[in-house]
Amino acid sequence: MKSPFPSRTKKADQAENGAMPGENGAVAQEEVKPTRKEKLSGHKDLAVHHGTEAGADVAGWVDSRTNASGIFTAMMSRHVPKGTNWFYTLGSATMFIFAMQAITGVFLSMYYTPSATQAYASITHLTNDVFLGEFVRSLHKWGSSLMIILIFLHMARTFFFGAYKYPRELNWVIGVVLLILTMVMGLTGYLLPFDQRSFWATIVANNITASGPIVGPYLADFLRAGPDFSATTLSRFYALHMLVVPGLIGALIGAHLFLVVKLGTTAPPWVRAARPKGAQRTESVEAGVAVADSDEVSVSSNGFVSNGSDEATPEADEAEVTEADSAPEEPEAPAAEPAAEESTTDQGPVEGGGSESTDAVDDEETPS
Amino acid sequence: MTRRKVFVVASQALGGLAGAAVVLPVVGFALAPVFQRGRERWESVGTIEDFGSETYKQVVFTEILGIGEAGKTTAYVRQGSEEYGEDPAEFIAISTRCAHLGCPVRYVQAAANFICPCHGGAYDFVGKRIGGPPVRPLDRFQTRVTNKRVELGPRYSVTNQLKAVRVRDPGEFTGGIWEYLYPPRPTTFPPP
Repeated sequence: MKSPFPSRTKKADQAENGAMPGENGAVAQEEVKPTRKEKLSGHKDLAVHHGTEAGADVAGWVDSRTNASGIFTAMMSRHVPKGTNWFYTLGSATMFIFAMQAITGVFLSMYYTPSATQAYASITHLTNDVFLGEFVRSLHKWGSSLMIILIFLHMARTFFFGAYKYPRELNWVIGVVLLILTMVMGLTGYLLPFDQRSFWATIVANNITASGPIVGPYLADFLRAGPDFSATTLSRFYALHMLVVPGLIGALIGAHLFLVVKLGTTAPPWVRAARPKGAQRTESVEAGVAVADSDEVSVSSNGFVSNGSDEATPEADEAEVTEADSAPEEPEAPAAEPAAEESTTDQGPVEGGGSESTDAVDDEETPS
Repeated sequence: MTRRKVFVVASQALGGLAGAAVVLPVVGFALAPVFQRGRERWESVGTIEDFGSETYKQVVFTEILGIGEAGKTTAYVRQGSEEYGEDPAEFIAISTRCAHLGCPVRYVQAAANFICPCHGGAYDFVGKRIGGPPVRPLDRFQTRVTNKRVELGPRYSVTNQLKAVRVRDPGEFTGGIWEYLYPPRPTTFPPP
């Protein structure tokens, strides 16, 4: 029976006979697979990117294999909404303090002895004898308090600016876990100097843990590694303080930042309140990479946008900071909507079609 | 069940087995201290002539080995008094660990009370709470007499009626339903 597909039959025959492709086949193969040199000549700049040219630099070689510059651009050249101000730096400040704590902690650990009989002496030696030891230890000690303060300020900013709302709820949850872990760092680090204050404070903290019903006693035993404060307790706290919790915090900071880059930041409430309903902004950040249009990236110098100017030219203001204005859903009266009611119009990364669902949410919240 | 499915399940099962082989021992290692009881320790704190029944004598002994000064604890020891229904041949050793949050209490002879400096907890002569935030009487240590020397052993807690129970951490009630809400831990010794 003859097949209606001659080419397929030919291939099948070749496979059956195990024969090398004939003249026609060779031509076809050459057409499909050009040589490497021909490929490179077709894309001249690729030779530079791939580092096959003599003048290629190391950075370009690495970049062509990792897309590091693309990732860097996505992280550092993001679109930021109008009204972004100094309050938005609190998260970065917290992360800076964490980095400082990590670095100073590494150097402190070089002198610290996590033994109940030697810990206090090692701290005394570090503070009194080691060059700049007191300074590094003080950085670590005061930095811990500063980190707690900055976290709460960062949290307050997020709360009062409404930045925890859709689609950023998960980032809020991660942030709360980070707050708890930071407090665990404070608790476990407090014991390490092993003076009277830290010893009794840890005893009290353990007993508070134990006073929780049913699981409390077992939890306290787990923390202490036994029924009483023992030699293992200090080393256990030390391991938690310098190995377990910092690793968790680092990983969660990564997830936190990833979501910030992916979802973008939100405008301050006064900017959102001044924005008419029709002029919703859609930051179409695709795959986390903002399109690098320099004129759009720039944030206007007047961080605090006055309501009057916004109402006068809403479209122009939006065009300055957003990548694309969505078509107004209700074009008949965009400015007639009650602007103050707007709470969830900052859609962030909702892509094109997502604006409808968000509008539904808006309709629920807007008294009609 | 397709062949592909069989391989997926089999490889996942192998991976899970390998993971469990690592994770389970680690978890067991971390949780073991919750279930292990240390060795019973007895330490002599003086001869039987050192302690009377009218007042307490302060003694310091090592409760936990291996952590130097931090492992030492203070107890107030006296002879049993018939006034409180105790056997004069027995010795009473009151722990200084406050039943509120574990601060060290001290005995004030003038008032015959135990006073806690942290949050104002107060206990009477036998260690029952008479004021402040503590939730139960002061803990005690088991006592015994060996060769006319008084020895202190494991710590135990008491209910408000001074009935001995397994030791609880400070802040935990004893007696009644609290025995279930703050269950005894495997790491502690049975009461005398």
